[in-house]
Amino acid sequence: MLTPATIQPLKNYRILDLSRIWAGPYCTKLMADLGAEVVKLESLSVYDSHRGPVSPARGIAAYPDGEPGEEPWNRNGWFNCLHLSKYGITLELTNDAGRRVFEQLVSISDVLIENFRQGSLERLGYDYAALRRCRPDLIYVSMPAFGNTGPWKSYLGYGIGQEQLSGMAHLTGYPGDGPMKSGINHGDPITGSHAAGLLLAALRHRRRTGEGMYLDVSQQESSVALMGGEVLAYQMTGQEPERTGNRSRWYAPANSYPCAGEDRWITIAATNENQWAALAALIESDGDAPELTDDARFATAEARLAHQDELDAIIADWTRGQDAFELAGRLQSAGVPAGPVLRGPDLLENPHYQERGTFLTVDHPQVGPRQYPGLPWKMTATPGEVRSPAPTLGQHNREVYGSLLGLSGAEIDALESGGVIGTRPTGSRII
Amino acid sequence: MSSPTNGLLNGVKALDLTHYFAGPYCTRLLAGLGADVVKVERPPSGDPLRRLGPFAGNPGAYRAPDGSAAPVEDGAWHLYLNAGKRSLGLNLKTEQGRQTLLRLSERADVLVENFAPGTLDRLGLGYEELRRVNPALVVASISNFGQTGPYRDWRAAEVNLYAMGGLMNITGEPDREPLKEGAPVAQLGAGQNAFAATLAALMYAEETGEGQRIDISIAEYATNILENALMQYSYSGQEYTRVGNRGYGRAAWGIYPCRDGFVGIIAGPDHRWPEVSRIMEREELADPRFASRRGRQDNADEVDALMLPWLIEQDKVDIFKAGQESGLGFSFVATMQDILEMEQLLARGYFVELEHPVAGTLRYPGAPIRPDTDAWVFRRAPLFGEHTAAVLSDWLDLSGSHISELATSGAIPSGAIQC
Repeated sequence: MLTPATIQPLKNYRILDLSRIWAGPYCTKLMADLGAEVVKLESLSVYDSHRGPVSPARGIAAYPDGEPGEEPWNRNGWFNCLHLSKYGITLELTNDAGRRVFEQLVSISDVLIENFRQGSLERLGYDYAALRRCRPDLIYVSMPAFGNTGPWKSYLGYGIGQEQLSGMAHLTGYPGDGPMKSGINHGDPITGSHAAGLLLAALRHRRRTGEGMYLDVSQQESSVALMGGEVLAYQMTGQEPERTGNRSRWYAPANSYPCAGEDRWITIAATNENQWAALAALIESDGDAPELTDDARFATAEARLAHQDELDAIIADWTRGQDAFELAGRLQSAGVPAGPVLRGPDLLENPHYQERGTFLTVDHPQVGPRQYPGLPWKMTATPGEVRSPAPTLGQHNREVYGSLLGLSGAEIDALESGGVIGTRPTGSRII
Repeated sequence: MSSPTNGLLNGVKALDLTHYFAGPYCTRLLAGLGADVVKVERPPSGDPLRRLGPFAGNPGAYRAPDGSAAPVEDGAWHLYLNAGKRSLGLNLKTEQGRQTLLRLSERADVLVENFAPGTLDRLGLGYEELRRVNPALVVASISNFGQTGPYRDWRAAEVNLYAMGGLMNITGEPDREPLKEGAPVAQLGAGQNAFAATLAALMYAEETGEGQRIDISIAEYATNILENALMQYSYSGQEYTRVGNRGYGRAAWGIYPCRDGFVGIIAGPDHRWPEVSRIMEREELADPRFASRRGRQDNADEVDALMLPWLIEQDKVDIFKAGQESGLGFSFVATMQDILEMEQLLARGYFVELEHPVAGTLRYPGAPIRPDTDAWVFRRAPLFGEHTAAVLSDWLDLSGSHISELATSGAIPSGAIQC
C-alpha cells in the first residue's frame, strides 16, 4: 500500500479517478500533491492511452532507454509522470460483477472524475442521479471536450484542439505566418488546473453544507477563460489580434536571440525605461556596438515598438556568438529581464531547479530511478511529498478491493478469474 | 457594489496585493466564486496592468500615455482580470498605510501577492509579520522563479519565463527561433495553480487554525506541464525539440491551412484513420503505409501533400464538423470573432454581459467550469480606489473621521472620503 499523506489539506478525501490522458489526470495529480487519496480506475481493454500501445516499436524515447520491455504499459514516461502518488486499479464496467464493485467504490469515494466522451458513463447507467444513489454527497466532475450540453456536446477534443478552439493558437505564431501549436497540448493542463480549483471549492462547500455537487467541465470553455482580455480587446477594436511571435505589443524589445552553439538562444525583454537604459548601456559597453542611448528610434517605448525590426537586428548582432547562460547572468546583474531558452538537460541540471527540488528522483519498480516534475508549489505548513511512483496497471487491486472495500480473498480471486480485474491488458486503443 | 451575497466562496475575505497577470488571475477566480477580494492598489495609478491596452475609449493604443499618472479604467486585460474585485487605494510605503494593511490582514482569510521576492519584507509586511497578526492567514506568493534559489531575484517578462520554464524550446519551427505562445499563458497558468493551492491551504486553515505561506514560481509552473518533452529526456536521454505544427513530428496531428483560415487535423486512433481518407475523398490516403501513427510520421510530407488540396477548398467549420461527425477530434483555429459567435458557446450561455461606467457594456467569458449550484458571481472590474472607504468601513469599522485622517496622512487617496 502507499504511504498515506502525513499532514496534508486533502488527506481525508478519496477521489475515484476514471479520467485519462492529461486534462483529468493533471487535475488529480494536483489533488494527489495536496494529499488526496486518488484511486485511478482503468479498464484492461481500454486503459489510459498515455500508457502507450500493448506492443510498441523499440526505440521510442518515452520508454526507459527506448526499451519498451515486457510490460510497456507500465514503462511509459508520459503516463508515469502524471500519476505519481496515485493508486492504480482495474475494473470492467460493462460486466455485472464489475458494476457491483464499481458502485461500492463510488459509495466510499468523495469525488468521481471522468473525461470520457460526453455521455459515456451515462450510457453505462451512471448519470449523476444514479451515482448519488451510491453516495448521496458525491462530487462528480464530468469533463468532456465541450461540456455536457449544447450542439457540440458529443464532439471529441484533445488538448491540441483546445489550443485552437480557444483562440490561443490564433495568437501564437511567427509574425506574418500562420498560427502555431504550442509544444504541448496546452488545453489539458489549463482545464486540469481549473478543475482542481473548482473541485476544492466544491469539497469546501460540502464540508460546510453536506451537499455534493455536479461540475460540468467544458475543456473548451475552460481554455477560453485564459483568453478573456483578448476577447474584450476584439470587441473594443473590431480587429483580430496580430501574431507577434515573441514580441510584446506593450513594450520592446522582447524576443529570443541567437547565441553561440547549436540551437542556443537567449530571451531578452525591456519592459520599462530603466531596463531599456540598462540594456542599451550594456550593448554599448561592448566595443563596436552602435550607439543606442541617444538614438531617437529607440528613445521611448512607443518608438522602440515602432522600430522593432531594427532593434532586434542590433540585439541579435550583439548576442550572436555569446554564451546564452553567461550573457543572461550579465543582463540580470544589470537589471534586465533575460534568460536562456532551456532545453531538457538544462532543466534537469539547472542549479536553481536543483536547489528548489523542482524535479524529483522517484524509483519505479519497472523503470528504476528517474527524474520527474515534482509539486508545482511549496507550502510551509503542508509541504506535501511524492508518496509513490505511478502505479503499474492494476497494481493496487488487492489493496483497494481488499483493505478499502472489504472484499474477501476468494471474491477478489473470482473477479480476477472472471476477467473483471487484472494486471495485463486485454486490448488497447491508442490515439 | 457591496460585499458579495452569493457564490461558492461567499464569506471568504481575500486581500489582493497582485498586479499584471499571474496574481490577478488567481484572485479573479476567488472573486468570481464570491469571495470578497479587496485589490490593494498603490496611488496614484494602481495596478500597472491598467495601463496596457487596447482601451475601450482608445482602441488604437496599446499603452496609456507616459506623461499622465491618472488611473486608467478601460484596458481590456484589466477589465477581465480584475472583474469582481473591490479596489482599495492604499500607499504601503506610509506607516499609516502599512498599519492599515496589517489591520486588514487580521480580518482576512487569504492574502495573495506577486511582488518581487523580498518586497513585502522591505515594506515591513513580511510573512512573519503577517503571521504574527493573523496565524490563520493563508499567504500565497507568486513570483517569477520562487522565493528561494539562485534565480530568486532575476527579473522576467513572459518571454523569459516561457524560455526558462522549458516551453519555448519546444514551440515553433525546428529551423527557426523558439517561440512563445501569444497569450500570457505561463503567468495565467501559474495563477490557476496558485488558486488551487490557496483553496487547499484555506481548507487546512479552517480545519486547524493554522495558516501558511505558499510559494508559487511561474517558471516552475511551466516545468510542471512539459509532459513528454521532459520525460523522454529523463527516460532515454533523447532531447525533444521543435516540430512546428506537426505534433510529435507526425502528419495529420496539427494545424493546416484551409479556405477561410486554419484547421486542426487529428488523425485519431489508428482505427479511425480510414475515415480521414473517406472524408477527404483521397483513396491514396488509405495506403497501408499511412495506416499507423509511425507510418504517418515516416511519410509526413506525402500525407500532408495528399490532404492539402482538399483542405484548401473547404471552410474551417465544415472540416471540423466533417471530422467530428465521423468520430475524429478535428478542430479549427478560432479567431476572436469565431469565439464570440461560436454556436456551442452561445447555446451554453457562456458569455456574460457586464456594464462598466467607463468601458461600457462588453461580453466577458463566463464560468470556466460550471457547478450545478449558484457558484459564480459576475461583476465588473472596480475603478481605482472605488471601494476605499467602503472596505475600511466594512472590514475595519473605521469611522468617517478615521478615514479622513488616513487621507490626510497620504495613506489613502484623498478622493476616497466620499464613498
